Amino acid sequence: MLAIPHLDFIVAKPLLSEFFLLLQQGVLIRCRVSCSVAAFLREELRAGEDTIAKIQSIFLDGKAVDDIETALIKDGSVLALSAAMPGLVGATLRRGGAYSSFRNAITYHEKAETCSVKEGYVRIKIFNLLMAEMGPCLLQRGVSLKAEDLLSFMAGLSQDFWKGCRRTEFDNKPVDLRILQNSLTAGDEILLSVSSAQAEA
Amino acid sequence: MDKILRIDVGAKGGPKATAVPVGDYAGLGGRAMTSAIISKEVPPLCHPLGADNKLVIAPGLLSGTASAMSGRISVGCKSPLTGGIKEANSGGQASQVLARLGYSAIVLEGKPKSDDLYKVFVNKDGVRISADNSLRMLTNYDLVAKMKAEYGEKMCCISIGPAGEMKMGAATVAFTDMELRPTRHAGRGGVGAVMGAKNIKVIVLDDTGMAMRPPKDPEKFKDANKRFVDGLKKHPVTGQGLPAYGTNVLTNILNEVGGYPTYNFKQGRFDGAAAISGETLAETEKKRGANPTHGCHRGCVIQCSGTYNDKDGHFLTKQPEYETVWAHGGNCGISDMDKIAMMDFLDDNYGIDTIEMGATIAVAMEAGLAKFGDADAAISFIHEVGKGTDLGRILGNGAALTGKAFGVERVPVVKGQAMPAYDPRAVQGIGVTYATSPMGADHTAGYAVTANVLKVGGDVNALKPEGQVELSRNLQIATAAIDSTGMCLFIAFAVLDQPDTFQALLDLLNAFYGLNLTGDGVTDLGKMVLKMERDFNKAAGFTPQHDRLPSYFKTEKFAPHNVTFEVKDEDLDKVFNW
Ligand code: SF4
Repeated sequence: MLAIPHLDFIVAKPLLSEFFLLLQQGVLIRCRVSCSVAAFLREELRAGEDTIAKIQSIFLDGKAVDDIETALIKDGSVLALSAAMPGLVGATLRRGGAYSSFRNAITYHEKAETCSVKEGYVRIKIFNLLMAEMGPCLLQRGVSLKAEDLLSFMAGLSQDFWKGCRRTEFDNKPVDLRILQNSLTAGDEILLSVSSAQAEA
Repeated sequence: MDKILRIDVGAKGGPKATAVPVGDYAGLGGRAMTSAIISKEVPPLCHPLGADNKLVIAPGLLSGTASAMSGRISVGCKSPLTGGIKEANSGGQASQVLARLGYSAIVLEGKPKSDDLYKVFVNKDGVRISADNSLRMLTNYDLVAKMKAEYGEKMCCISIGPAGEMKMGAATVAFTDMELRPTRHAGRGGVGAVMGAKNIKVIVLDDTGMAMRPPKDPEKFKDANKRFVDGLKKHPVTGQGLPAYGTNVLTNILNEVGGYPTYNFKQGRFDGAAAISGETLAETEKKRGANPTHGCHRGCVIQCSGTYNDKDGHFLTKQPEYETVWAHGGNCGISDMDKIAMMDFLDDNYGIDTIEMGATIAVAMEAGLAKFGDADAAISFIHEVGKGTDLGRILGNGAALTGKAFGVERVPVVKGQAMPAYDPRAVQGIGVTYATSPMGADHTAGYAVTANVLKVGGDVNALKPEGQVELSRNLQIATAAIDSTGMCLFIAFAVLDQPDTFQALLDLLNAFYGLNLTGDGVTDLGKMVLKMERDFNKAAGFTPQHDRLPSYFKTEKFAPHNVTFEVKDEDLDKVFNW
């Protein structure tokens, strides 16, 4: 398999949040699959029990998950994570909540018995309060994006961001992003990783 | 709050105000007060814009006190949009001020004898009513600016915009917020049209010189309020999620789960959702120097609201709520947040319900009047309404009328009122509430997720098919009760998860009034309100067939999950069997 080009940002810690909005649209990660959502959260996303308790709504392939021990992550799965949400709908979409019957039609039921694929791609979406909770770790681990999504995201970054951006490297070499922008082609896949200057130190 | 201010707009020589003792309505507030007066005094078969209908504006039981969250206000009437009873709820400053002035309600009644337009001024010294035709067709923002110049900054306004004067079915009653902007609206059901039919343009309230309402047991009240506030602050929804992102935080998850009605309820996912999500909105607000965490009235500790600035950093509108962003956004295929915010401002300024207007524009788009996604066309439709052009008169009377006028079948209404932002095929339990609420399709009718704490009607097995019906019933009862306290419904999240916070709410009421109210008492209040409302609707000609979703929800599969609404009619008919 060809290595995916990787772009690394090292930024001042407060600027990490500039990348969080990418997470709501979804990013791909290459990871172990054929495991439960619970195992995936713990082992791949390195979420502690406190964080897992805060993840009140979990959607696997667009369906609301009640039991994270039985729902299985597969190659190509889309997993979305949200903290507790307001409204009756927020309560309805909570995992195992008192109002789960309100959304029977869109509840996730695991059908796969076994799955032999061990590694694959999973699209992760992280919403609301969980962005700050889980985002830094996920961004440091590295996420895959289409070049066009990355470019349009970078175009929206503020002046303040560029002032606080300590270093950018492309395939381990310092890079001028204006030059990089011109050399990326729509459809290319890029592995983006972001860490804070503090974490680096 | 021992008196009711009755304004007879048909009195000889012009509207006449009389303060009368609260009498039989003692102990009622908010929705309980509005629905009690309407069901007792308004003939169910009357014309909503005629002499016999009344507009009731009532603060909640705890409004005007030091209790947190107690400043919501109810507006009730026979609805010009649904033909049934209506309670529309709003934030803003008026609830606290009206309660401190000692009024349990303002009732506008009768039929004007002339075309003159009136303003009403109420302060500690009494009531002054004067004709002022210079206010005619003023928008809400211009009107409030004029009132500020006349009465100073220490007042608040209850007003209608041009839509109310034109007696449109989507017209709102506006309430000014803490910054004296007319950003809070009793939106649903055309309550503004009834105020317009009474020729009252604005009610100005000034509580200078009035004290906070004193509780019977100040110590217990203070203690209960502290426990209540602590409970709200420690809960992740009321303490973190709502303050950080507001209600629009729901966009991403509704979209993810395929329950976000898009292109006039055609599908459950919108490609542009991330661009208009609560997360993006909050980030934009921060970058533009606006405030993503703000209350709609003094005393709100959750602060789910905020302000939205334009690209140049100038105030454009309050932070649009989830339902507004959906109605003008995904439902119309629009993903430009600045244009959506502009529509929110225009709706507030002309005095139009954002949900009804967004749903109506989507129906107009379906009819081919504009393409889905054409934000400029959507904005021009709102101006048509504000100006009262022929097209505007149709659009301003809501989705049902617009669907009829342009021959559209897919019109998402129940009892003539547009459905809010949750597709009932994906979240079927909400469909039960849309179908059966006496208010017409209304997400807040079964919003108060306190049912399992109140255990209304015993424990519900939510996994049984009939569980959805029972849950919807219990939710509607709990909601009616909370709407009567004047508390914001958003307290319900903390109350659901934290029984001690629910107890703190009861203790607040008990310490204030010297009562011994229990959970059962709250349940009884909610049931009483719903029974009055159902009885009114029955006498107005409503039958079980009105408690149905439009038939296409049962036949058109809703992508991505390809689901239809499956709850049986006979189960819907059981919702109010208790
Ligand atoms: S939580 Fe929101 S809606 Fe409720 S009172 Fe506060 S600002 Fe108003």
